[in-house]
Amino acid sequence: MSAIADTPAAARPRRRKPIDGWRWAGRGFLVLMLLYTAVPMIWMLLTSIKSGFAAMQFPPQWWPSEPTLASYQKLLDPQNSVGQDFLRFFWNSLFVSSVTTVLSVAVAVPAAYAFSRFHFPGRRFLFFSVLLRNMFPAVIFLVPLFILMRFLGLVNTHGSLILTYMTFGLPLAIWLLKGFYDNIPIQLEQAARIDGATRFRAFLVIVMPLSMPGIIATAIYSFIGAWNEYIYAYTFLTRNDQLTLPVGIQRFFSENTTDFPGLMAASFMMSVPVVVLFLVLQRYFVRALTEGAVKH
Amino acid sequence: MTTVTGEAGAPRRTPAARSGVLRQAWINRTDYLYVLPALVVMLIVIAYPIYYTIDLSFFKTPPGLQLKDKVFIGLENYTAILTSEVFWRVTLNTIIWTLASTVVSFVFGLGSALALHRDFIGRGVLRAILIIPWVISAVAASYIWKWIYHSDFGVIGAVLVELGLLSRPPNFIDSVNTVLPSLIVVNVWREFPFAMIMLMAGLQTVPDQLLRAAQVDGASAWQRFWHVTFPHLRSVSTVTVLLLAVANFNSFIIPWIMTGGGPSNASHIWITHIYELAFGRQRWGVAAAYSVLLFIILMTLGYFYVRALSRGERKEAEG
Amino acid sequence: MAQVVLRDLVKTYGPIYAVDHVSIEIDDGEFVALVGPSGCGKTTTLNLVAGLIPLSGGDIYIGDRLVNDLDPKDRDIAMVFQNYALYPNKTVFKNLAFPLQMRRLPRADIEAKVLAAAKVLDITHLLERRPRELSGGQQQRVALGRALVRDPRAFLMDEPLSNLDAKLRVQMRSEIKRFHQDLRATVIYVTHDQLEAVTMADKMAVMSGGVLQQYDSPAEVFAHPKNTFVAGFVGSPAMSLIPLEAGTDAGAATLRSPDGWSLPLSPENARRVARATTAKVILGARHSTLKVHKSAVPGAVAGKVYTVEPTGDITFAQVYLGGHIVIVSLEPQVPIVPDEPVWVEFDQDKLHLFDGETQQALPRN
Repeated sequence: MSAIADTPAAARPRRRKPIDGWRWAGRGFLVLMLLYTAVPMIWMLLTSIKSGFAAMQFPPQWWPSEPTLASYQKLLDPQNSVGQDFLRFFWNSLFVSSVTTVLSVAVAVPAAYAFSRFHFPGRRFLFFSVLLRNMFPAVIFLVPLFILMRFLGLVNTHGSLILTYMTFGLPLAIWLLKGFYDNIPIQLEQAARIDGATRFRAFLVIVMPLSMPGIIATAIYSFIGAWNEYIYAYTFLTRNDQLTLPVGIQRFFSENTTDFPGLMAASFMMSVPVVVLFLVLQRYFVRALTEGAVKH
Repeated sequence: MTTVTGEAGAPRRTPAARSGVLRQAWINRTDYLYVLPALVVMLIVIAYPIYYTIDLSFFKTPPGLQLKDKVFIGLENYTAILTSEVFWRVTLNTIIWTLASTVVSFVFGLGSALALHRDFIGRGVLRAILIIPWVISAVAASYIWKWIYHSDFGVIGAVLVELGLLSRPPNFIDSVNTVLPSLIVVNVWREFPFAMIMLMAGLQTVPDQLLRAAQVDGASAWQRFWHVTFPHLRSVSTVTVLLLAVANFNSFIIPWIMTGGGPSNASHIWITHIYELAFGRQRWGVAAAYSVLLFIILMTLGYFYVRALSRGERKEAEG
Repeated sequence: MAQVVLRDLVKTYGPIYAVDHVSIEIDDGEFVALVGPSGCGKTTTLNLVAGLIPLSGGDIYIGDRLVNDLDPKDRDIAMVFQNYALYPNKTVFKNLAFPLQMRRLPRADIEAKVLAAAKVLDITHLLERRPRELSGGQQQRVALGRALVRDPRAFLMDEPLSNLDAKLRVQMRSEIKRFHQDLRATVIYVTHDQLEAVTMADKMAVMSGGVLQQYDSPAEVFAHPKNTFVAGFVGSPAMSLIPLEAGTDAGAATLRSPDGWSLPLSPENARRVARATTAKVILGARHSTLKVHKSAVPGAVAGKVYTVEPTGDITFAQVYLGGHIVIVSLEPQVPIVPDEPVWVEFDQDKLHLFDGETQQALPRN
């Protein structure tokens, strides 16, 4: 470093140093990443507004010559059998994801709080065994869980999915929330308890509102995870009217292999709720990661 | 020079009998109530399946899930796996898939996070766009890319032909040689945003003062990155890489929907293979034995994972 | 307000005594400071009184009630925290109202009490703000206000001034003292700053290693520290402590330094030294009892000036007596420079003498 400082170049004003090279490299890289990220999504949208015939041309129509919303109309039309199925799948996904989210938060909040505040023996062991759940792939649990669900009478019910989804959302949820609680000064609760609140009341009135960003982030994470889940839904559900979107769409298009505009429209519709949800609430998510995961 | 400081300092130690673990557990008994719901759910959905899988791996099973008729065969399932050719093919695929996906996702994520760290007009919008693939369902992503890779009407092939680079569109996912790299491209597309978010969060913890001090000391942009920024990112990088590696090792949806493991096993990885053995060919015992092997590998990985995560934990426990 | 009694208080963490059989009696309306270096157990003691952590042993009485097993909310105490612990999502008004709400007071009463407390502390204009919009001093006032709105049996304060800058700290110090006098409140005040304890408290409890070292009025602690720890901790600059060897020089009792110099003792002090368990004795002297001479004087010890620190109305100097530094003070107009030879005279009536083995003060008669 000192060798550089001795050269006359270092004496010149900072602004004229060749930092610009890095800045331009960064911009160039971002442009490439933008293309990589956005082109497939744009192509999905462009295809979804073509007719089936227009989509199957070579060379392709780069821009649809006769844009049409026919595929979307078909998916959203309750009179049509395709629309009926799609709306049913959509509703099923919404139901399963919402219930999973509410239950996950209800279970994760007290657990994360306990891991953050209490120092009972075995606390660390329990914490890490909860985290270890994230290590294991769904496939390992598939057969035994299927048998377990059969035993509980939950096969072909949404209950089987909700119970399963809760467990894969919980570890990260607990981890994120614990980071949040670690950052809330314990004196706030102590003050509340001295001011006349019970321990539980102090948690409810003082700590909960402060951890709201963490809770929102946890909720988004659970919701998106449940909305997108495929394997368990694929295995536990066989009745057509129970299917969630990922499985429903897959079933449907394994029978209609060439309806690419329809497939792209369905993919788009399936992505809209989670993308909107995430974009609206993403600042909570990034904040939760910063406070929960990184600042350890 | 000597100074008398008085007897400040070390507190007395208690008689040993007062600090038994059980006694502590009893004193803190109400604390466990907070963790109980999470534990119960975890026990049902984790402990039982693990026990069940291990047990099943020692049996020969009839097709269908009529497991009453299973027959104990000891380690035969395991020897069958380790001597099969497919096993080694699939293992090699899994290693390539996991390594390549993890490394490329991390590098892309790091590059994007660094480039996005500096403020400029449109940064928020750009960041949001780059994150979208991570939020989209893997099923949707698989279909989007399957369409992009389509051997007759795929857009990439069309661009290559239009530019005159190829005479006819290539078979991205129908060819043994290109299928795995093509799927890795899709996987990275969905995963690098995760690395980007984690590392962006990590970058916020790098103290500005240190960077300014380094600048005053005459460090170049690269030196500042290498000596100041990167060491601060080390722990978040470790966690990110491990999470990516575990997620990639466990991927299922992308290969399953896009190729189903084909052509001729070229894109089968462990998880898809296990799934096919169990639910496709109904060889439950062999699939269970595979799962146990997988389990052992993951426990080894998990040891490092927990060690990486617990570094911060331990500090806190001492404080 | 009420009397607070701690009897044989014990708190253990695993195998460690954080609080080691501490007994303190605090009279109704008394201001007691718990003082000691960090980790000495003072905050733990306060948290035990508050009920924020469970007791391992001993009894706590607030008024005539045994409160060992009571929740904090039932102990009828108020507490001010070092980081103020203001509820960040509530306005100042709601922060002040919170303890009253928890006690289900009627809305009109709450408002009246909050406004009265705000008026006393001069924070009426801040009532609609949130804590993060306040300066440190303002936050401190709000924290005090939240303790004041009720009429608790005792106030507990945990280093309430240590987050303030030096000037504000002096100002708040006198305000808290005034507030104690006006209310005749029972106050337990934790601080690591011995100056705060000396200036504010009726009595101070000096702690170290979880053990109560001395519990007396500040004047008594200053004049008669019970052991070398208290002697070194209370007073600024600190008392100079020098390990010496008792002996005789031509029949007269003296203290000898291994560096060669020696100090003859008065008959009274010779009797005290004779009570030590061994010949090892620690000599203590505050700067105000040491006289500096520019030439040799009988009974004075020769030394060499090391550093000079003028403070304006008094000048401190560190002087090497052999291998040991003592701190002396001089009138600011006396010229003195580093490395200058000086002679230091000890005031025999004000010598502190400690047993070199037990570190305890050697009694006066």
